[in-house]
Amino acid sequence: MLNMLDILGTIAGNVLSLPGILGLALGMMTRNLLVAAILGGLVGVAEPFIFAGFDASKVETIDLVIAIAVGVVAGCIGRAIRVKGATV
Amino acid sequence: MARSTNDEKQPGFIRRIWNAFWSPSGVLSLGFLIIAGFLAGILFWGGFHWALEETNNEEFCISCHTMSKNFDEYTETVHYNNHSGVRATCPDCHVPHEWQHKVKAKIMASKDLFHEIIGTIDTDEKYEEHRLHMASLVWEKMKKSDSRECRNCHAFEYMDFTIQETRAAKDHQLAIDEGKTCIDCHQGIAHGLPAGYLEEYRSIIEALESGEGVELQKSSLLDMGPATEALKSFLNGKTE
Ligand code: HEC
Ligand code: HEC
Ligand code: HEC
Ligand code: HEC
Repeated sequence: MLNMLDILGTIAGNVLSLPGILGLALGMMTRNLLVAAILGGLVGVAEPFIFAGFDASKVETIDLVIAIAVGVVAGCIGRAIRVKGATV
Repeated sequence: MARSTNDEKQPGFIRRIWNAFWSPSGVLSLGFLIIAGFLAGILFWGGFHWALEETNNEEFCISCHTMSKNFDEYTETVHYNNHSGVRATCPDCHVPHEWQHKVKAKIMASKDLFHEIIGTIDTDEKYEEHRLHMASLVWEKMKKSDSRECRNCHAFEYMDFTIQETRAAKDHQLAIDEGKTCIDCHQGIAHGLPAGYLEEYRSIIEALESGEGVELQKSSLLDMGPATEALKSFLNGKTE
């Protein structure tokens, strides 16, 4: 149960943090799905490091994985918004 | 505009940007623009808040060497070093928490940058000469706010007078009865005090109580003759 909440909390934290917000914004800048996913994923990689004060030993694998996943998903949603909402 | 001709002057660069900004977009849907604006807003506000907090910690304050004198004095006091390890840092006492007051304090502090550049307090002598003036700025703020920053951590309501030393308990009871505030008795809680501080403090209180503008102790360093006098009489006229 606690593990479940832990994961849910991490996901929510990422959605409302850089991977979710910046990932979505970057995704909206391209019509290419692969580019969008990579941009989101890069933000996902960067974020845990930034909040760990650039100390790699403090970055937990599970946090990193969730951040990247959220970033990739956000980037793809951003790309979908671009395709649906703009003609360029 | 039927009289448009071929040799009509092209609008200038700024004009064209202005026009484009206010024209409906042909390629972006309303939904796209709303989502983009919303995200840009979040990113801007988050970044702004982050930057503001970066200027709200001890390392930032003492990154100016002029502030390190105060830091050295403060390290000798209970708010730096004590049995429980709870600390009050520079912004805890000098920067309000409430958004409105905090932004005001931050904007007022931009003058620090100017004084740092012109070197108002860059030597010990200059510092001591200027100290009474700076301290009186802080006192006036604290007196006006009923020592709001102290009360972020301390409150009469939760003080157990039975375990305070007699003098403290007696004075705090007196303070509640007479409506006094922390800074009325606790000047110099974190830094050294200049000579003549009590008279200066009293004159600030009297000026505040009589409802007149406070005429701050003249800083010899900022005295630039007639121009200063004119500015001062203008400012004093304003606050009356
Ligand atoms: C750019 C360097 C610099 C930084 C950073 C700085 N100060 Fe100052 N500070 C000064 C100078 C110079 C003065 C003298 C200003 C004057 O003469 O009015 C000053 C004056 C003050 C005063 C005197 C009262 C007043 O209103 O003038 C206080 C209190 C103060 N600083 C607190 C702080 C705190 C708290 C921080 C961190 C949030 C801080 N300072 C960061 C340079 C700096
Ligand atoms: C960030 C919280 C915080 C703020 C802000 C703060 N204090 Fe304190 N203060 C403390 C703590 C914690 C202690 C007790 C330290 C200990 O003894 O463990 C303390 C102790 C004291 C003491 C006891 C001194 C002694 O010799 O035992 C006095 C007096 C005092 N504070 C006055 C003030 C005044 C006046 C202000 C406002 C200018 C202020 N404090 C602001 C946290 C704070
Ligand atoms: C009427 C004067 C007066 C006022 C007003 C006053 N104090 Fe005090 N306070 C004293 C005296 C005197 C002492 C005992 C000497 C000392 O420790 O400096 C004292 C002691 C203290 C102590 C240490 C108590 C102990 O026994 O450990 C704290 C903390 C404190 N004051 C906080 C405050 C705060 C916070 C305020 C404002 C809400 C305040 N005081 C307002 C006079 C006053
Ligand atoms: C416990 C609260 C407290 C803390 C912590 C604190 N100050 Fe102060 N500060 C004051 C008070 C009160 C004054 C008003 C003058 C006085 O009573 O000593 C003051 C005055 C000043 C002044 C005006 C000049 C002077 O010496 O009076 C400066 C500059 C200043 N503080 C900077 C700092 C810096 C930098 C730090 C962090 C290293 C800091 N303060 C930490 C309470 C505090």
